[in-house]
Amino acid sequence: MSGQYHRPHRWAWWTERPGYMRFMIRELTSVFMAGYLVVFVLTLAKVGAGEALAGATPGTIEDVLFGSPHPFAEWIAEMRSPGWMAAHAVALAAAVWHAVTFFGAVPQAMPIFLGEKRLPAPVAMIVMGYGPWLTVTAVILWWVLR
Amino acid sequence: MSHATTHQHDVVIIGGGGAGLRAAIAIAEENPSFSVACVSKVYPMRSHTVTAEGGAAAVIKPNDSLEDHIYDTISGADWLADQDAVEYFVNRAPSEMIQLEHWGCPWSRMADGSVAVRPFGGMKIERTWFAADKTGFHMLHSLFQTTLKYGNIVRYDEHFASKLLLDDEGRCRGCAAIELRTGTVRAILGKSVIICTGGAGKAFPFTTNGAIKTGDGMAMAYHAGVALKDMEFIQYHPTGLPGTGILITEASRGEGGILVNKDGYRYLQDYDLGEALDVSDPRHPQKRAMELGPRDKLSQCFIKEKNAGRTIKTKDGDAVHLDLRHLGAAKIDKRIPFVRELARSYAGIDPVHQPIPVRPVVHYVMGGIDVDSNSATNIPGLYAAGECACVSINGANRLGSNSLTELLVFGAQAGTHAARFAMDKPDYDVSGLEAQAADEGERIRRTWFRTRTRSGSERIAVLRNELHDAMEDGAGIYRDADSLDAACEKIAELRDRYRKVVLDDHTNSFNTELTAALELSSLLDVAEAMAHSARERTESRGSHQRLDHPDRNDDDFLAHTLAFRADGGGAPRIEYRPVTITKWPPGERTYGADSGLKRPADEPGEAGEPGEPGEPS
Amino acid sequence: MSNNGKMTLEIFRYHPETDAEPRYQSYEVPYNEDWVVLDAINWIKDHMDGSVTYRWSCRMGVCGSCGMMVNGEPKLTCAAFLKDYYPGAVRVDPLVNFPVERDLLISMDGFMEKLEAVKPYIIRDDVNDTSEGEYRQSPAELARYKQFSMCINCMLCYSACPVVGHEEEFLGPAALALGHRYNKDSRDQGQSERMEVMLSNEAMWGCTFVGECSVVCPKHVDPAGAIQQAKAAGAQEYFKSFVMPRSS
Repeated sequence: MSGQYHRPHRWAWWTERPGYMRFMIRELTSVFMAGYLVVFVLTLAKVGAGEALAGATPGTIEDVLFGSPHPFAEWIAEMRSPGWMAAHAVALAAAVWHAVTFFGAVPQAMPIFLGEKRLPAPVAMIVMGYGPWLTVTAVILWWVLR
Repeated sequence: MSHATTHQHDVVIIGGGGAGLRAAIAIAEENPSFSVACVSKVYPMRSHTVTAEGGAAAVIKPNDSLEDHIYDTISGADWLADQDAVEYFVNRAPSEMIQLEHWGCPWSRMADGSVAVRPFGGMKIERTWFAADKTGFHMLHSLFQTTLKYGNIVRYDEHFASKLLLDDEGRCRGCAAIELRTGTVRAILGKSVIICTGGAGKAFPFTTNGAIKTGDGMAMAYHAGVALKDMEFIQYHPTGLPGTGILITEASRGEGGILVNKDGYRYLQDYDLGEALDVSDPRHPQKRAMELGPRDKLSQCFIKEKNAGRTIKTKDGDAVHLDLRHLGAAKIDKRIPFVRELARSYAGIDPVHQPIPVRPVVHYVMGGIDVDSNSATNIPGLYAAGECACVSINGANRLGSNSLTELLVFGAQAGTHAARFAMDKPDYDVSGLEAQAADEGERIRRTWFRTRTRSGSERIAVLRNELHDAMEDGAGIYRDADSLDAACEKIAELRDRYRKVVLDDHTNSFNTELTAALELSSLLDVAEAMAHSARERTESRGSHQRLDHPDRNDDDFLAHTLAFRADGGGAPRIEYRPVTITKWPPGERTYGADSGLKRPADEPGEAGEPGEPGEPS
Repeated sequence: MSNNGKMTLEIFRYHPETDAEPRYQSYEVPYNEDWVVLDAINWIKDHMDGSVTYRWSCRMGVCGSCGMMVNGEPKLTCAAFLKDYYPGAVRVDPLVNFPVERDLLISMDGFMEKLEAVKPYIIRDDVNDTSEGEYRQSPAELARYKQFSMCINCMLCYSACPVVGHEEEFLGPAALALGHRYNKDSRDQGQSERMEVMLSNEAMWGCTFVGECSVVCPKHVDPAGAIQQAKAAGAQEYFKSFVMPRSS
């Protein structure tokens, strides 16, 4: 026998606590990042295509992708449209937010102990997250801008 | 209450706290073929062992000695402890504590990885093992989790045992217990039985004890014909929060906290407890002196200060201040973090910046089910261990940190002896016991599921509150013939009125009003034994202080009180049994400068402080 | 309405013998600023309605019995002060994500099985005799697991965990943290045995790191952290099994 009462499933559970909402937003950022990756892969393909494939045989995949004689330049021009710029801004915001929450979780998931003392969370975030991130970013910027 | 169902095991343990779980492991480990039933009215990790804070005593360090622990315990007990039992206890304590360490208890450690020890009241040297200030919590959870290793321990969680079942030979063979989920009364049978149901602090209004500490096991044994021993000895812990009675551990004084009255004066120095060394003096806190005097004396000093008008008035009554400020935040957070948490939550005070108001609160029952030094009662096959039992190693006053060790030592011992009994006397008649359990179910149903037709019905809470007042007024820290007469009379009246209690709830599933009624019955039994035992002991000893008989009287009362339940209830029959004295003849109980116990190890820089025990905050 | 030194408590009521559906019942209790929600419920039981059913014992936040939903938030009712809600009403529900036995009392059966599943005890090949003394454990080694040993089994984290709500079989925060506690104990040698359970689908990989378990934990155990650490350890173990296939 079971006289137990099972409460109904709560489909809108993610609205119940701010923490749940934050979790859902964090998960959603991955959709934007996945979208951006598709665009990025396409961009790389355009770079690889260069001018060489201009005039590909109609009906082939190359034709569909690179039907124009200047695929990369046109791609870039297309990307400069306000719609795409906005999409990129959203993707960047999502990526930054994801990174921030990721670094926020690092001290919890990978505690660093010095003897019996645990490295305080803000320090751990800098050592394992923001520090390396900013360093790598700086190196890339230097390489690109030099 | 539906009909009884029967469950057969080799040993039945009633109570799933520290002692019960230790007994269960002892049996399961020594007798892998045995089936052990652990019957508890709560899930084991809710048991009151969980709230013990300060620590557990056992000789482990080279600067300590078994002899010293024995002497501290016996003198702390005001010579009412049985010395053979104390010797057994102290000798067994270290290996039991190491055993628990092997089972994973997270003891606080020294820099070299050995266990750390701290000073405690009435102990002449630091020998109290601790897990910060949640020692009982860690011990209970380590024990409980270890029991999960043994497939032959069968738990009956949330089963309220209400009656012991005896066979035709008069041997104890199990209990009748209400399965709370269904209200079914089960016959849980075994070849022997151990009671480990804890104390009965809930007979008093201000207590550190949880709601579940209602003396059920004591009452069950009392009804079955076992004496309750030394029930007049009730320990008041000197430092509980006024109002709630929440415990502020003695470890706070072991770490150097001081007690002051409304003038900021360390009043203990006025009561033969030694000299008030400055808190910056390296000899502070001095063992067996001042704030590290025994609990009975410290609680009595509070009353004397109160009578002299030197206590602090709070909205929850009189209090003194426990001042920890000089310890500093770092030490408080490392050694006694729970004290800070409790004071902040329940007193709105941060002990780093403010002193904590405290008052004596009922903490522990030294007395209990009369058992011998093998944890056996006078009923063959029935054993008891932990706070519900009285061996006695605690005598007239238990030393802080001896009780957690006691539940290990005597829990294990009761397990071993109960298992032996089960092997020697395995045969009994099941049907007779089943019939008794069925009768018990019927009795409960008939008594409690009646309708509200009779006139003048009573409520449980009203009777319980009146009992609290009667005990506090009549059998508190100081008693006399008049106050005890009044308490005895009131308890008899409450017994009468108890028969008129009517429940709101007449259903089977989780009828917690019914269990509250049964618990009140247990409290009345236990309170009756306490008040009558106190009335008959016309001397003052340890925690039993008679204003009309202020001196200790070894000629007449170097003896244990045995209270036997009268047939049909009423005043118990009181008998006495001499205390077992082996090597330590009764002497004067001295603390402070006169304790004559100075030894090089007491000085700092010696073994006292070989590196701070590491305790992450 | 809560005024004039009174406060309203709305209590979830359900009785398995008489009710098909639960309901809320309102009680007006005296307001006392020192009271916790549990005190108010006790007052109801003592003076108004003896049939209200719930668990409690220590009233000092360590026995773990009295967890309930207070205005939708999982709380130890002995640590939830009325003054933080006054003069508003307080609605008390049984902990969510558990079947209700009666009123505010939930079934712990599943939770107890989950605790047991992670083998929460010291496992060793070589057991020392007690005469050889204690196992040495440095303060630094103690610090590695101490936090995870502070769990009082109050189950608030199970009420805060959406995964528990969706997958009944999920071992859940407290049990996984307890398994991790023993894995991190320098005295223990049972990690690989324990990991067999913890690596299963219903165990730590079920955790999506919502993290609310650690937010509601009254003892700062941080089960979410424990589970992520266990995942890292589990992944290591997994890769090790390729490098060093079962030889022993």
